[in-house]
Amino acid sequence: MRNEIRFLLGHEMRSLRSVDPTMTVLDYLRQDERLVGTKEGCNEGDCGACTVVLARLVDGGLRYEAVNACIQFVGTLDGCQLLTVEHLVGEDGSLHPVQQAMVDCHGSQCGFCTPGFVMSLFALTRHSETVPDDGVIDDVFAGNLCRCTGYAPIVRAAGQAYELKPRQDHIAAREAETIAALGRLADTETVAVGDGERRFFAPATADALAELFEANPEATIVAGSTDVGLWVTKEMRRLDTVIYLGRIAELARIEEGADGIEIGAGINYTEAMATLARHYPDMGEVIRRLGSVQIRNAGTIGGNVANGSPIGDSPPLLIAAGAMLHLRRGDARRSMPIEDFFLDYGKQDRAPGEFVEKIVVPYPAGGTRFRAYKIAKRFDQDISAVLAAFQLWLDGDEIKEARVAFGGMAATPKRAPAVEARLAGSPWNEDTVQAAMAALEQDFTPITDWRASADYRLRVSQNLLMRCYVETTDATQDTRLVGDRSLAHV
Amino acid sequence: MRSEPVPPSRFGLGQSVRRVEDQRFLTGHGRFVDDFQFAGQVHAQVLRSPHAHAEIRGIDVTAATELSGVVAVLTGDELAADGIAVIPPGATAQNRDGSDMFVPPRPALAQGRVRHVGEPVAVVVAESIEIARDATELIEVDYETLPAVTDTGSAMDPGAPQLYEGAPRNQCLDWEKGDRAATEAAFAAAAHVSSLELVNSRVVVNPVEPRACIGLWDADGGSFTLYNSGQAAHNVARTLATAVFQLPMERLRVISPDVGGGFGTKNFIYPEQVLVLWAARRLGRPVRWTAQRTEGFLSDTQGRDHVMRAELALDGDGRFLALRIVTTANIGAYVSTFGAMIPTNPVAVVLGGTYDIPAVHYHVREVLTNTVPVDAYRGAGRPEAAYAIERLVDLAAAELGLDPVALRRRNFIRPKAMPYKTAMGSVLDCGEFARVLDRALGQADAAGFAARRAESERRGRLRGLGVASYFEATLGPPNERSAVRFEEDGTVTILVGTMSNGQGHETTYAQILHQRLGLPFEAIRFVQGDTGAIPSGFGHGGSRSMQIGGNALLLAADLIEEKAKRIAAHHFEAQEADIELASGACRVVGTDLAVDLMDLAKIARDPSRLPEGMAPGLDAAGDYAREATTFPNGAHIAEVEIEPETGVVHLRAYHVVDDFGTVLNPMITMGQVHGGVAQGIGQALMEHTVYEGETGQLLSGSFMDYCVPRADDMPTLEVAFEAVPTKTNALGVKGCGEAGCIGALPAVINAVVDALKPLGIRHIDMPATPERVWRAIRAATSGD
Ligand SMILES: Cc1cc2nc3c(=O)[nH]c(=O)nc-3n(C[C@H](O)[C@H](O)[C@H](O)COP(=O)(O)OP(=O)(O)OC[C@H]3O[C@@H](n4cnc5c(N)ncnc54)[C@H](O)[C@@H]3O)c2cc1C
Ligand code: FES
Ligand code: FES
Repeated sequence: MRNEIRFLLGHEMRSLRSVDPTMTVLDYLRQDERLVGTKEGCNEGDCGACTVVLARLVDGGLRYEAVNACIQFVGTLDGCQLLTVEHLVGEDGSLHPVQQAMVDCHGSQCGFCTPGFVMSLFALTRHSETVPDDGVIDDVFAGNLCRCTGYAPIVRAAGQAYELKPRQDHIAAREAETIAALGRLADTETVAVGDGERRFFAPATADALAELFEANPEATIVAGSTDVGLWVTKEMRRLDTVIYLGRIAELARIEEGADGIEIGAGINYTEAMATLARHYPDMGEVIRRLGSVQIRNAGTIGGNVANGSPIGDSPPLLIAAGAMLHLRRGDARRSMPIEDFFLDYGKQDRAPGEFVEKIVVPYPAGGTRFRAYKIAKRFDQDISAVLAAFQLWLDGDEIKEARVAFGGMAATPKRAPAVEARLAGSPWNEDTVQAAMAALEQDFTPITDWRASADYRLRVSQNLLMRCYVETTDATQDTRLVGDRSLAHV
Repeated sequence: MRSEPVPPSRFGLGQSVRRVEDQRFLTGHGRFVDDFQFAGQVHAQVLRSPHAHAEIRGIDVTAATELSGVVAVLTGDELAADGIAVIPPGATAQNRDGSDMFVPPRPALAQGRVRHVGEPVAVVVAESIEIARDATELIEVDYETLPAVTDTGSAMDPGAPQLYEGAPRNQCLDWEKGDRAATEAAFAAAAHVSSLELVNSRVVVNPVEPRACIGLWDADGGSFTLYNSGQAAHNVARTLATAVFQLPMERLRVISPDVGGGFGTKNFIYPEQVLVLWAARRLGRPVRWTAQRTEGFLSDTQGRDHVMRAELALDGDGRFLALRIVTTANIGAYVSTFGAMIPTNPVAVVLGGTYDIPAVHYHVREVLTNTVPVDAYRGAGRPEAAYAIERLVDLAAAELGLDPVALRRRNFIRPKAMPYKTAMGSVLDCGEFARVLDRALGQADAAGFAARRAESERRGRLRGLGVASYFEATLGPPNERSAVRFEEDGTVTILVGTMSNGQGHETTYAQILHQRLGLPFEAIRFVQGDTGAIPSGFGHGGSRSMQIGGNALLLAADLIEEKAKRIAAHHFEAQEADIELASGACRVVGTDLAVDLMDLAKIARDPSRLPEGMAPGLDAAGDYAREATTFPNGAHIAEVEIEPETGVVHLRAYHVVDDFGTVLNPMITMGQVHGGVAQGIGQALMEHTVYEGETGQLLSGSFMDYCVPRADDMPTLEVAFEAVPTKTNALGVKGCGEAGCIGALPAVINAVVDALKPLGIRHIDMPATPERVWRAIRAATSGD
């Protein structure tokens, strides 16, 4: 056991012993460190005014990630370097290239969103050696709201920043030092801080996690904190015991195993995306539109599944792909087809002390078509009104088998048995599609809320089946929702 | 401008000077209200009504008061007992019959009844914000809920729930302007009448910085200081001091430091300002409050919310004869500072737009509903007018089978007709509307649109081109004082009563002074938003700052020049007439005798070196009063592509040509247009304020539920300036802050409707969300 959290704030070491388990990084910066450059615009992960960058030690190098300070707990900083807008300024007070570019392009008006954009842009320059196209830049900024500038000047600033050699800055100059310092912090002790009733644990191994959680089944597991953070900041829930997964290397993996793609419960969307997209391009596309860069840098598929929301984006994808969910409690393990996990609204098949270990997604067999569509009010960073995922095994023109799943259409993410039955064994043609569209009405009676009416949900879902048909049969059709936008992988 | 010609300078007018304020904004050193800390401070949390309409039967604060760390729990009873007066509106209007409008009392904490979700009911002050939040949950309020009304169109229905006894049918104002008889006569004689029911949707303003304030009380001096995230320090100070706390204005200082965007909503007097000051006085400790985003959604004034019936009368040649608009404006549960005024004259003043329309009549009824109060939002009244007019013109063109551009050209007020007096009495001194529109059409390659539409059709998509010729009048208080102070340390301070909250005033005012007097740009400092440092001011709003404050600064500079020449003449023992001011120095013409203005400022401090009877100091203040309203105008062209199966609207291109008169800093001005257009696009396509009918709950109460545009939602935007400088002020400026938002609403919706026109769709209300568009397509194609 280690009873302190250790991290670098800029280049200064911090060790904290008495930490409230749900104190956010934002409150810590603004209140304890009085570093007020990082702003609070929503406290819900939506606006990006609080964006900071975390540098983590990965394979001997540093990986920089923009995250929302407002929904991350201080304990999750353990072993990282935390960089804020204040740290970008050179030691002589000179502006960092990304800051200078924002000045040159008039990327700041009121200045309130600015530190967040600066940090998102700084993170981009660490990921991409050369200036990416505008689609990627839009994606990088999807998690940053600006009400003043209309964004174009900020997008231009991203291009301009690359003219100013942003990767050759004082932070890069001290990278070796940072790597060494973070290296000294790495250990396999379980971190346990807090006092009395309110405790924060960060085990470093899956076994330690299993033991801890079994012993403290009332604890709240935190992976990326993109759901849990909001329980605290928005719903004002009090969480006394928190167990954080982020230090467990075994869970933070995605592997192409014998039976399929093994998604560790702790791997975030950003890291999982490329592998998934390689086998299922449409999964990549949906993930690219899930949340924002900041959310994807923290949020996990494991958390999305465990949370069990009917509008979570990954469950329908995983159901249509035929994924298996692997759970563990103490030393006991079990697995199930992922659709069986979702029992009812807010209710999943998970025992106290039991956690998601991994999700295994079979590789697509030859002759399958996999399509997924997200319908929302806005392209980026929006909750789905409907998420549809289709997988069809075709033998020539005949559909051998179909797996169809929807989010947003029922109290849980759910398969569409009537549609599947209507498709299986039929020729893949327009008549079949029409019949399957009709069958959808037996599978779902969606609700009307103000986000979308029942009618819209149902008809659009039917239309998506037709769109899937058109796309899989006529390669020249440009009917994707993502449409003319290239898949932006950052 | 009357200044001597100065050599072109990097920092002069017309240059895209980099912003002075950016150094601190980019490094995280901007100082916004929430960034200030005070010794002994305590934190306030407001308990808000969960009901849209309810009687308060009782409030039990016992448990909250007992929580450790709670310093005070205050309700409307204490407020009344302490004699804190209600928050008055800043402007009211008179009914058509000459009587005063109905203004309900608005106490800072509800007394007896709540009328919108989010209305303050109690305030907890505690040692930490967490404790204050916990304590609000311990307050027990006994509510008896009442039926609520939130919908604008039905607020006046018989049987609709009533908010106030004094406002039968919830109507608080019945106002009109224009010649009703002439308008009716023109309609009666018209060859064609186009008529449209439309909604100018309600918008949640959402500046990224939440509202915040800190109240301080100085017991010795008996005076208050308020740190306020605001757009109008003096107005806030004046109202709070004189009306609410009944003190002389000098005893309430308002400081507005860096402000993270306002767009109108931070101009106003809010209950929380009263609460932090009042609590600070009761407790003798600094009291701070910062809105959470959810609170912002429930308590920042919202924008627009007009339901209109708009009609245009045309003769057989397609000439406009008359315009008639009947509006119901929803101003929310209380009359906010300018809430009652915005739907009146600010709409009327631009009715008629860029067109020669002989008769115009405008009739508005304002209704009180169980919603958050509505007040000025970027454009304030003028977008409502421009949207109605430009939608009508497109509709008329469609109904008559005319080209909408040709119809506009036929009816534009011609340059030769200037000065032109509109039917509403506005006098335009200049404007070249056809030239501006033609340039925009060229920029947008309107000629190539048919081919682009055909290409979209091949892909199963609907394409539309929307044109809007917008017309704005700059408004806001007509006066301003700008002062210049020469400091001992060799810097020069500009003090203004206007209030930048992102518009780059620190830079543009300095450019004006630099250009006019040749003072070194780097030596110029800037002060705004502090009633303790600046004697008077009228803040931000109506695109007024450069026009009023900028011209006031020119007047101050005139006085400085006069004084400087006098002192220089005395210094060199020359005639005043022989002194010229150039490049920041006074010189004796034809000699090499010269003295720098900075040195003159030093000389000016020493009475012994001044001419007889001259007061020391080179400082000066200029008072400017607007001589004539200015009329920014321009053309917006939007091009959209729609997916029929889902109703998703893609904005493919967006073009703007603006006539703002003289442009002082093109980079900053461009920024204003970009930002305004983004907000307009937001309202037109995605920002959807949804109140649940029966309960009056705001359903779209977070950024996740209320879509403001993100980077990806913005099309490529091209902006050009076609300046027709006005002669009505020395700078030649017309104003630029709101224009983008005014042109965008009709341009975008005209484009959407243009795309849907082949299906027989004649109108779609904002926001044109995917579901709404899909629904319209479905109704048009399936007949249900
Ligand atoms: C701004 C914003 C945008 C978002 N956009 C989207 C979106 O577009 N689509 C979408 O689907 N979601 C979205 N979300 C929701 C959220 O990001 C996802 O649900 C995310 O996948 C949650 O993962 P996490 O790791 O952050 O989970 P956490 O918040 O850490 O945890 C979520 C839940 O899962 C539990 N949990 C986590 N890991 C495990 C485990 N291994 N075993 C057992 N229980 C576990 C936690 O206890 C908690 O109950 C958004 C959230 C925000 C704040
Ligand atoms: S404060 Fe808005 S995302 Fe964190
Ligand atoms: S500059 Fe004001 S919100 Fe971005």
